[in-house]
Amino acid sequence: MIATFEQVRETVIEWLDDNVHFGEAAALIKGDESSFLENGILDSLGFVRLVLFLEDRFGVRINRQHLTRENFDSLGRIARYVVSRTNGITA
Amino acid sequence: MTAPVFLPEPAAAAHSQLRAFRTLAEERLGQAIPDYGALQSLALADPQTFWRTWLEASGVAYSGDAGLVIEGNSIEHARFFPHVLLNYAESVLRGDPASTAISSYDESGFRGRLTRGELTAAVQSMAATLRAHGTEPGDRVVGIVRNTAEAVIACLGAAAIGAAWASVPMDLGVEAILKRFEQIRPVVLVTHGSTSMQGVRKDLRDRLAQVIKGCESLRALVSLDGEVPEGTTLPVVRLGKESPAPFPFPRFPFNQPVFILFSSGTTGAPKCIVHGAGGTLLEHAKEHRLHCDLRPGTRLYFHTSTGWMMWNWQLSALASGCEIVLYDGSVSYPEADSLLRLVDEAAITHFGTSPAYLQYLRDAGIVPRDRYAFTHLAAIMSTGSILADALYDWVDAEFKRVPLQSISGGTDIIGCFVLGNPELPVYAGESQCVSLGYDVQVMTPEGPRHTGRGELICCAPFPSRPIGFFDDASGARFHDAYFAQNTTFWTHGDMLELTSRGTARVLGRSDGTLNIRGVRIGPAEVTSVVEAMDEVRQAMVIEQRAPREPGGSRMVLLVVLQANQVLDRPLQLRIKRELAAQASANHVPAVIADVRELPVTFSGKLSERAARDAANGVAAGNASALRNPACLDEIANHPSVRIG
Repeated sequence: MIATFEQVRETVIEWLDDNVHFGEAAALIKGDESSFLENGILDSLGFVRLVLFLEDRFGVRINRQHLTRENFDSLGRIARYVVSRTNGITA
Repeated sequence: MTAPVFLPEPAAAAHSQLRAFRTLAEERLGQAIPDYGALQSLALADPQTFWRTWLEASGVAYSGDAGLVIEGNSIEHARFFPHVLLNYAESVLRGDPASTAISSYDESGFRGRLTRGELTAAVQSMAATLRAHGTEPGDRVVGIVRNTAEAVIACLGAAAIGAAWASVPMDLGVEAILKRFEQIRPVVLVTHGSTSMQGVRKDLRDRLAQVIKGCESLRALVSLDGEVPEGTTLPVVRLGKESPAPFPFPRFPFNQPVFILFSSGTTGAPKCIVHGAGGTLLEHAKEHRLHCDLRPGTRLYFHTSTGWMMWNWQLSALASGCEIVLYDGSVSYPEADSLLRLVDEAAITHFGTSPAYLQYLRDAGIVPRDRYAFTHLAAIMSTGSILADALYDWVDAEFKRVPLQSISGGTDIIGCFVLGNPELPVYAGESQCVSLGYDVQVMTPEGPRHTGRGELICCAPFPSRPIGFFDDASGARFHDAYFAQNTTFWTHGDMLELTSRGTARVLGRSDGTLNIRGVRIGPAEVTSVVEAMDEVRQAMVIEQRAPREPGGSRMVLLVVLQANQVLDRPLQLRIKRELAAQASANHVPAVIADVRELPVTFSGKLSERAARDAANGVAAGNASALRNPACLDEIANHPSVRIG
């Protein structure tokens, strides 16, 4: 399926609300490029759960070699990476 | 026939402590004992001789008369070694004073090392401090503490003077803490004032202040880090500030309470399970020495918080002469493989972990053997939830070819019913054997059996049976928990398969207790929070199979709302926030589903079992006993619950 940057972004926030921050994710994330790890938004265990969810939600296979801070350590990085895997539209 | 995934080296098996004990038993009995099965048969046939022989061989320091091994025949009431005296801390601290007892790490790396001599002196000083503040044998000392050497010192200090220790995890909410502590009326609270997780420090002093306010029995506060809540009226002791003269360890009766563990069930307040010093020591020494082959020169790291019984279990491992390694922090910070680095750098020989962590490594694409040598690693133990067959192959191929030992037992017995064995092969998905001297059977339709599938029962007295529950003088609550189904054996609450080759496969819980990502969750602790909300009339939590989730399952919360209420997203998030705040993040369900009614039996009891069966797509075994079986269809077909 094709996903847009905004769709992935909203999906990640919703997942964080449901699983980690219970309705406070948007308030805790200081910006699309703010580091998840450095700001305590998500730990490595959480990243793996999120990746499994995104694979199911968007029907993509995420190469585990790509599971790096460069690709996943912020809302914007995750959205851009997932969009690139779905051949969708980046911001 | 299934091939084993691991075969022990003959030389290693020959030098194991289990082989040495088997040889000792052969000499004592004057007969050949060719293998573990034969040893187990003899132990079960003559428990008096077995347990006396093991007490003598275990390294446990004791005095008194060990002639009477087991007083009484019933499992519920039997007492081991009623005329033996010992001190838990004394036995744990024995050994070469110059050898390392504890190595400590946190997210920033190595923090320090304590020799047995240094640890003993610190424990004796702590014991004297506790006594100076009025702590008597039988009193309770409680901890809200991180997994550090100071926490170990506090715990052993309490044990040294015959007080019982109880601790809770740092992330537990105030309400949940008070529900535990107020039952056991502690006299001393030991604390860390903050945690540091993922590099982020969290100040807990406000929470501690609320606990102190709600716990009227407290007489003193011992601060392990100097971070004391403002306005505390209790006398405050800062670790290391008072160093009364050491004293020799006094010995107490074999069944002197040493640990109180908390376990939450489907209804009511958490159970306060009291474990005795002698039974705990004797069983732990057997598990550590004979089943794990821990000894001087080995190093154990078991990943646990201070709120789980594995913390007590790894602490007792000191009695085998081994070194324990403590880690305070996240397994995946600052790097995704931080815990693996610790295992390698600290030269861990025995690594205790969980299926959830191994699954995390696999899902993250981390190949441990490509990153570290693990030169010293000799065994991996896993517990907390069921270890999937595929993870055995993964560990063999991607981690290291060592025995992967699935061990299982729990809080109720502060030890294991099934576990590893240095002389036996490992089969995927199976624990290697039943604990030596434990008459573990399964309840089949034909009755108790040593092979087959059924509910796990133990059919002979065992030393790590709890002394009882706190404040349960009549024993009624204790009886209801383990002996209500059948008074002649211990019913554990697990489903088990015992194979003809002597191995065991845990199949899951048989009661309403949940095990989510390796954490045991008492449904009452979830439903009590949710049912206190105005919008909710009734609530039930169940465990549903979910292969993609760590641990293979997820928590589903079923709610019946008050009239005119809607389970919209804001309400769902508020329920989750309340649970995280009042209980812990582990108590937050993956799914919340609103239903019109919950399954109820004709006797008026809610049936978690029926709802769980419906959510897992199987026919409810007790449908005919339900007043409203039609509600199961609504649960099974709810869009948030439905499988596939």
